[in-house]
Amino acid sequence: MELYIDAGTTWTKILKIEEEKKLYKVIPTSELKKLDLRPNKATGHSILKSDNYENEVVALANGAKEYLEDDFIALDLGSRDIKWVKFKNKKFHDMDWNSSCASATGATVEMLLKFYDVKVEDLVFVKDKYAITCGIFGLEKIMDDVSMGVEPHIAISKFIHGIAYNAFAFTKNPEKICISGGFCENECFIRCLSEYCDVVTLGRFVLVDGLKSMA
Amino acid sequence: MTKDIIAFWGYPEKELIKETKKEYPNAIWVDLDIEAGAPDLKYLPENYCAIIKNIYNNALFLKDRIIKILAPIGKDKCDSAYFTSEILKESGFSVIQSVFEDVCQNIKSVKVPISKSGLSLREKVELITKNIVEQKDYSYLEKIEPKFGFWGVPPNDLSLLELFPCQTEVFGWCRAVEAGYPGDFQLESYVNPDLPTVFFTQAFCSKTQLAKYLANKYEGLFIDVDGFVNNSIRAKIEAFIKLR
Repeated sequence: MELYIDAGTTWTKILKIEEEKKLYKVIPTSELKKLDLRPNKATGHSILKSDNYENEVVALANGAKEYLEDDFIALDLGSRDIKWVKFKNKKFHDMDWNSSCASATGATVEMLLKFYDVKVEDLVFVKDKYAITCGIFGLEKIMDDVSMGVEPHIAISKFIHGIAYNAFAFTKNPEKICISGGFCENECFIRCLSEYCDVVTLGRFVLVDGLKSMA
Repeated sequence: MTKDIIAFWGYPEKELIKETKKEYPNAIWVDLDIEAGAPDLKYLPENYCAIIKNIYNNALFLKDRIIKILAPIGKDKCDSAYFTSEILKESGFSVIQSVFEDVCQNIKSVKVPISKSGLSLREKVELITKNIVEQKDYSYLEKIEPKFGFWGVPPNDLSLLELFPCQTEVFGWCRAVEAGYPGDFQLESYVNPDLPTVFFTQAFCSKTQLAKYLANKYEGLFIDVDGFVNNSIRAKIEAFIKLR
């Protein structure tokens, strides 16, 4: 059996290969800590660095390589960080990784949905967006808007539009972004990002696939 | 307490170093730029260049032992250092201001054996700064074929340099210092365009704009670090080196 783990801050993505059959799974990272798993390779904020640890950007680059060979960007937007890589002429070209500020990423969106009791499927594309270079100021704007009568799901959608715009700007305004991570499943986010560039969703398991390709 | 220290920062003008050595042959030379564990006296705003903070903290900690401070204030250092020199003067230190803005004729022909050697990157940078005072000849060092470039100043947290392989060539202010032209903009801006290069500055330093510009121009990696290196910065450099 082979095991590959991407242990994010909130969610852990697992690839298990048994008799050449691939099994993908997502579990809360809080549960991972209770399990005694021995991965072949692992990455992510919530895993202890050891011999089988791999750098997250390296795992992303390897997992997304087949999509990147035509010069586009692979962006992974997680619970607490945002990172991207770009290949040019089949060679690694550029990257960035912002993990210092977690206030405008997945964990904040999950927190807002819980706080306002809004379902992710209720979020809609809205043309307006909050300028959320700092997510804390974004939260302030949501609360202001809601107190003025704006529906919470609209205010959160504006926040998500702000995140999408930030992702576009952070990746230096590309023509096309291949997106990895939990935001692939957030239709509102994908719709907002599509306002600025072409978007291809790669799903949540790009990093574990990258780990497998490096094994 | 006996005054036994000649303190300095940056690269004071060569003649000034020479004269001071002659005048105080037994003095201990201390580079105030370097983080050496002196208590943080909170003399400066929280968000400020870590190197300038080091200068204040070290100088004030060693005040009773410092004979004089050799204080570069020209293009070879920065405007912050000019203010620092004036404020330390007002705080009772003997401060000799220095402007070392000589330019070289040909930036590609300068002798920089340490920058091009196979020593570890940390050893290279430490040796370059140590040699400001020692002025030893390192031309015997073997030149290696570089795989990466490091552009910038000596970081406040020197452990950052341990992330790079030995085949890393030194550029930026460090290289300009080794060449003996710390204020030469052309030399400071020079890199080998074929090498994947990390462009480093301390956060809140005006060199940030040059680092960012050069990183874009040469498709390198721009990083700025305040104080000490965190896991994200380590991971970013590690990924850049592995992927390039």
